Amino acid sequence: MAFENYVNSNESYTSNQFYEKLLREIPDLIFQFKIEKDNTYSMPFVSNSAMEIYGFEKDFLEHDAGPVITDRILKEDVKAFLKSVLKSRDTLTRWNHEYRVLLPKKGVRWLKGSAKPEAMKDGSVVFYGRITDITANKEQELRLVLSEKRFEFALEASMGGVWDWNLVDNTVFYSEQSMKILDLDETEGINSFENCISKVHPDDQKEYLSDIDLHLKGITDVYENLHRVKGRKGTYKWILDRGKVIERDKSGKPLRIIGTHTDISSQKEREDELKKTLDIVSEQNSRLLNFAHIVSHNLRSHAGNFTMLLDLVDDIQDSSEREETLQHLRTISNDLTQTIEHLNELVSIHTEIKIARENLNLYEFFQRTLNVLSEKINKHDVKIISLIPDDIHINYNPAYLESILLNFTTNAIKYSNPERRLEITYQLTYEKGKKVLTISDNGLGIDLEKYKDSLFGMYKTFHQHPDSRGIGLFITKNQVEAMGGKIEVKSKVGEGTAFKIYFNEKV
Amino acid sequence: MKKFNDVFVVDDDKVYHFILKNLLKKNNIEVNSRFFENGHDAIEGLKENSKNGTTLPDLILLDINMPVMDGWQFLEEFRKIKGTLNKETVIYMVSSSNSPFDLNKAKDFPNEIQDYFLKPVCLEDICRIFLN
Repeated sequence: MAFENYVNSNESYTSNQFYEKLLREIPDLIFQFKIEKDNTYSMPFVSNSAMEIYGFEKDFLEHDAGPVITDRILKEDVKAFLKSVLKSRDTLTRWNHEYRVLLPKKGVRWLKGSAKPEAMKDGSVVFYGRITDITANKEQELRLVLSEKRFEFALEASMGGVWDWNLVDNTVFYSEQSMKILDLDETEGINSFENCISKVHPDDQKEYLSDIDLHLKGITDVYENLHRVKGRKGTYKWILDRGKVIERDKSGKPLRIIGTHTDISSQKEREDELKKTLDIVSEQNSRLLNFAHIVSHNLRSHAGNFTMLLDLVDDIQDSSEREETLQHLRTISNDLTQTIEHLNELVSIHTEIKIARENLNLYEFFQRTLNVLSEKINKHDVKIISLIPDDIHINYNPAYLESILLNFTTNAIKYSNPERRLEITYQLTYEKGKKVLTISDNGLGIDLEKYKDSLFGMYKTFHQHPDSRGIGLFITKNQVEAMGGKIEVKSKVGEGTAFKIYFNEKV
Repeated sequence: MKKFNDVFVVDDDKVYHFILKNLLKKNNIEVNSRFFENGHDAIEGLKENSKNGTTLPDLILLDINMPVMDGWQFLEEFRKIKGTLNKETVIYMVSSSNSPFDLNKAKDFPNEIQDYFLKPVCLEDICRIFLN
């Protein structure tokens, strides 16, 4: 160590003492490093901080620190370190380098060196500089990179986009993914909030604005809203939008809010699909429950009558009354059998997993129905209008098709308007490529407001007429649905009724 | 002692008509009874009797599930014309339905419905309805 004397105007120190005092205040390692002409190197000066930064022992001053400096560099960083030093020596430009060292106590540390080289007359080069421990910064930096990567991945994986709304100048910034989701063009990467609202589906706007407002006012912790956003082609997407205010002024006024949005259209579609299935299942369930009530009702009344008649039959002396009793017993027996048959039929619809399908000529089946019902049709002078082409085939269950045609035709005859001649029209049309049979009449019509729920629900089937409306419709509806189709009804009291049967021919 | 003289039976089950007639006969309960197959016919019958001064029923046995006009619809109509009938009429529901819907619905007519009997009606029920 060689410092020149230093004299202060007031106090007198040796320059060594003066610099030592100063250096002690500097956490960085201050050094002088020398590379001789023959490439050997030494460290003529190194400050006390070397103990802290490089893990030197107390007696480090007694040895040349040069070898230690390089020895402690991590193996994989040595080559780059030497290269940087030599480059700096050769070009006499400032040395700047970040590298890792392995210290006896502290383990691996990140260091940053910086020094100015000076060429000496004897051909050697001397570096004056400092080394700083940047481990904390470096770790912070690495953590940041890692968390940024994590965030990036999370966003990518969630298919979410990011938005950043500056409430001070009312601009909304969108990330690339966001722009994709919202189907924005390049000019809309930065947008006004008003423009954002204009893209939200009118039906969703009120709740959207209210949810944002609730969060801006600090009532909700997080803003979250599900709404539809209009794309450039005019179609809507379901967006899950979430955000949080990250900056407020002293009075609590929000300044900035950031958030994400995710396209959940496909999720929403699946959800809707599931809901539909659930609706069908619950409807079927309630109909079955209703059916259970009806079966219980009918069985109870038949069985009850049976018992009562048998009780009475012994007391009845009059032969004609006896004959009447027997006649009633026969009726009950028939009704009982029919109730059980209905039950059977229904059970078979619901237990058969795969219902047989055949290629059926619709017109032939229609004609067959007219033949079966010819007596009724003639008796009531029914006008039949057919708009069914004679070459249309449908892939359906023959028994079910027969049941559909028979049930709706008898139904129309039964509820005809006595004031005019009954007309029944059969028409085959296509909807979305599927065949639809419409059977319409000019009969009494049904007050759908009142009876919509009970029409197929068999509330009207309790009475004892064997061909009453309801049980037939109920069974037919079950058959059509078991084949994957549906029945719709339109009616106006006094004008007539139209039943639409949607066939489903897919197996 | 019998409580009623004139009875309207509103039920679409003809077997039930027959059974009821014979049960009354068997137990020597003599009443004037008229049978209707649905609510609509019974309402018409009431209006008619009221108009031409024929005796109105003091008892109505009412079924629920009937074609044209069911028991509940009958009760709605009956409420409307009740004031014009100059006779106190008691109504008993007699039905095979034990569905919760019907049992609850009966509570909507506390002033009209005296009681609810589940079919089949037995001799005991008949005695409870007709005798003191």
